Amino acid sequence: MNYDAIVIGAGANGLAAAHYLARAGTRVLVLEQHQTADPSADIGWVPDAVIRDLGLSDAGLRIEAPDPWITAPLPAGGTLELSRDVGRSAEAIRRISPGDAAKWPDFCRRMRTLASVLERLYLVPPPDIESTDARELVRIAGLGLYVRRRGKQTVIDLARILPMSIAELLDDWFESDVLKGLLGALGIWHLKQGPRSGGTAFNFLHHHAGCATGVFRPARSNVTQTLSKLAGVEIRRGARATVLAKNGKATGVVLENSGETIEAPLVVSSAPPRATLEPLAIELYPDFARAVSNIRARGVVARGTLTLEQSPAYSTFCIAPSLDYLERAYDDIKYGKDSSAPYVEVQRTDGRVEVHVQFVPPGTHDALADRVAQILKVRPNQLALQPAEESLYHGELTLDQILFMRPVPGWSRYRTPIEGLYLCGSGTHPGGGIPGAAGRNAAREIL
Amino acid sequence: MKQYDAIVIGGGHNGLVTAAYLARAGKSVLVLERRPRVGGAAVTEEIFPGFKFTMFSYVVSLLRPEIIRDLDLPRHGLHILPLESTVTPMENGDYFAAWGDHDETRRELYRHSPRDAEAYDEYGRLMHFMAQAVKPILGMVPPDPTSFAPSDLIGLLKLGKHFRGLGGERLHALVKLMTMSSADFLDEWFETDVLKATKSASGIIGTFLGPRSPGTAYVLLHHYMGELDGVFRAWGFAKGGTGAVSESIASAARSFGAEIRCDAGVAKVLVRNGRATGVVLENGDELQAKTVVSSLDPRRTFLQLLESDQLPSEFVSDIKRFKFRGSSGKVNLALDSLPSFTCMPGIGRQHRGAFSISPSLEYVERAYDDAKYGEFSRRPYMDIVFPSMIDPGMAPPGKHVMSIFVQYAPYNLNGGWTDAKREAFGDAVVNTVESFAPGFKSKILHRQVITPLDIERITGLSEGNIFAGELALHQLFFLRPAPGWAKFATPVRGFYQAGSGTHPGGGIMGASGRLAAMRILKDGVGA
Repeated sequence: MNYDAIVIGAGANGLAAAHYLARAGTRVLVLEQHQTADPSADIGWVPDAVIRDLGLSDAGLRIEAPDPWITAPLPAGGTLELSRDVGRSAEAIRRISPGDAAKWPDFCRRMRTLASVLERLYLVPPPDIESTDARELVRIAGLGLYVRRRGKQTVIDLARILPMSIAELLDDWFESDVLKGLLGALGIWHLKQGPRSGGTAFNFLHHHAGCATGVFRPARSNVTQTLSKLAGVEIRRGARATVLAKNGKATGVVLENSGETIEAPLVVSSAPPRATLEPLAIELYPDFARAVSNIRARGVVARGTLTLEQSPAYSTFCIAPSLDYLERAYDDIKYGKDSSAPYVEVQRTDGRVEVHVQFVPPGTHDALADRVAQILKVRPNQLALQPAEESLYHGELTLDQILFMRPVPGWSRYRTPIEGLYLCGSGTHPGGGIPGAAGRNAAREIL
Repeated sequence: MKQYDAIVIGGGHNGLVTAAYLARAGKSVLVLERRPRVGGAAVTEEIFPGFKFTMFSYVVSLLRPEIIRDLDLPRHGLHILPLESTVTPMENGDYFAAWGDHDETRRELYRHSPRDAEAYDEYGRLMHFMAQAVKPILGMVPPDPTSFAPSDLIGLLKLGKHFRGLGGERLHALVKLMTMSSADFLDEWFETDVLKATKSASGIIGTFLGPRSPGTAYVLLHHYMGELDGVFRAWGFAKGGTGAVSESIASAARSFGAEIRCDAGVAKVLVRNGRATGVVLENGDELQAKTVVSSLDPRRTFLQLLESDQLPSEFVSDIKRFKFRGSSGKVNLALDSLPSFTCMPGIGRQHRGAFSISPSLEYVERAYDDAKYGEFSRRPYMDIVFPSMIDPGMAPPGKHVMSIFVQYAPYNLNGGWTDAKREAFGDAVVNTVESFAPGFKSKILHRQVITPLDIERITGLSEGNIFAGELALHQLFFLRPAPGWAKFATPVRGFYQAGSGTHPGGGIMGASGRLAAMRILKDGVGA
């Protein structure tokens, strides 16, 4: 069997790219290193365009919309629950701070407007600021005009807020530690930064993209599962592939276990850029090679499951009692240790209870389960946690690693110096937490 | 009653530069300074008999060459002596030294890492180029991207063209410098920890950020823009201290006919029918002027000199949001003799340069951690110079003065600053130096400890921020000090701002003062 294209990785982005290519008449083979599919839920905004283009609604896509969307313990006992309804959330906040409650609706509106600008930027290739092509310049001007039309305040907010720290942003608005803690956690989500680090306000808005007004946790869905059941592409599991290239051109892949070679003129990898590129002779392109080796993708999260006798009453339970708590959790990892008091979030999803623990450096951690169990008031054997070796996003979402700087500066259009080799994973624009967007953008760029 | 063309509030270096440029253009100018001497944070004072100190700012390099030229400052006494080296003592007794001689520095670095010695030249070339690329921005009035006015659109286009002209690789480097932490940026180039720690230290000066905090790479570049006699990254020491810089600008201003009045604090700006008409002094005297210029920081300029009902409420909340968060202190010592550092024993040429107490990135980052939670650093980052080694006139014969810039000392210390806490802070500084130079403490004759609260009390800089407002990305360019008001004008007609709280920001640069004067002359006094 001959293939026109091989896609490496059967995650949401790999599968989305494969289906877009298949729909354009390309014979596509998807190679996935793991034998069985990851049962954990997909986290993040599934763009409407992907749902529509690939008919995912009819294929069984379920996007969860829990209400309330978050529950956080209060220091004096009881909990703060925030609802999808902005007014109801404001009522809940009023019990801990009337001042914060009054500002809540306006905060939600302002953040939604800013996230909508990101949404617009995320579904097209990043602006090529070096381009001299008139069409690209017109496109960039169009994006500028789009932002400007959202109002003067939006331009100012974007310039002011994106480089800010989430702590500064939240301190500008609110006084309640609990509220700032649960919002601030989204600013450091999957990032090796504390809430006082610049750029964390951007990370916050990035994860607000695709959310409803007043909801500050990315949606959970079964998008990868849905894509993998969709007809049109062949998926081979348990096949760890390395790209083959000759004379600066991709020729196919070789499978690690069998040594089998599969040829194709087009290889699209959703694996991390460094893992895809470093086995190749990219030292022939020294600047590119150096940029690839400089990608920061440090693992800071342990994920896993919590086994409970009965399904919990909450949808998402967040332990991030204050910005200082998050900052101290970050201090530990700066010096190579896991947080002595980590940020912990528990999510109920599809009969499972998933756990996110931050900050945890890669490696084994004997005491981690004990510590998290103590925080959650459960037994250690109820927890199964796995520290990530590398950032789940294949590249941290910091201001120097987004848009035309992602995955490496000057190579943001999904191409590589190897002809016929493309990238389409979270390591490319628009990055992690938006399942399917990079795959779609890459496929459209290839086509 | 005499009506001046312009009254300049504040006789710091920026206020004096504005006054000098206005007077040079034939305007009648009066500078009003609250303290008994001009200079603001750039003053030299004889704190202990015979010992002269550059009380606050202590090195010069950012002063714009066009100002030195336009105002003919050397004729008015400006004389800058080079600071030749930086030595960083390490915890293991070794050191890292950067010397005035490039090849010597390269050999020294080779001792630590041959790879870094290779990278050093390329890094230097890149930073030199980036500084050149950013320099035109320093002399430019920031265009307002929210405006559709032709001048703003043209300004934006010019800016876009300027940056695109840099070419891909350098444009990317610029984006990285604007957004990264100095530690991450340096990690891409070097492996020697002590080198990265010492370099990253210039990225944290005046900020409430650690070397691993994004945004510090920009401050690194900001300090790279120093230019003395056309040589980049040349730090200098003004003969007579930084006060002599201020005095030379004041002398130039007087030579053009400006009047400078000290001990004349301004209480309020007089506003009639929405335009500034003069000022009221703290003693109640009223002075009239067609134009009033404040070189104080934005908080004092707008929230103290004016009533909030004289300004749009949106603007007032922007100014209230403008961040200061002073983080630096200063310890000035009179010494019986020079200290000998363990890493490089004896007294020698190393004392004519700086000692940087930044032995590792972790050391500097931990110093920041203390401050984050409201404490001064137990083991602070320090930049030490011995001005009397460069300019013997600063101390009695055989004796010395030692200037220690210290970070971090948060303005908002837990429980607030007290005399006891000030002394405890001074002890932390002295004890840390002692650990690198045993026997040093016994040489101290007098000690002056300056906290951010002292900086605020003495110079008026809010929260003791040495840049008159943090040099954070969201407080630069068209956002400095507030969106829509970054072009030196203010919402009150005839009232202008000229301090470091405006573009392009702090350091003894004078660029804000010069740009403000240009703007006033363009608008016309009394417009």
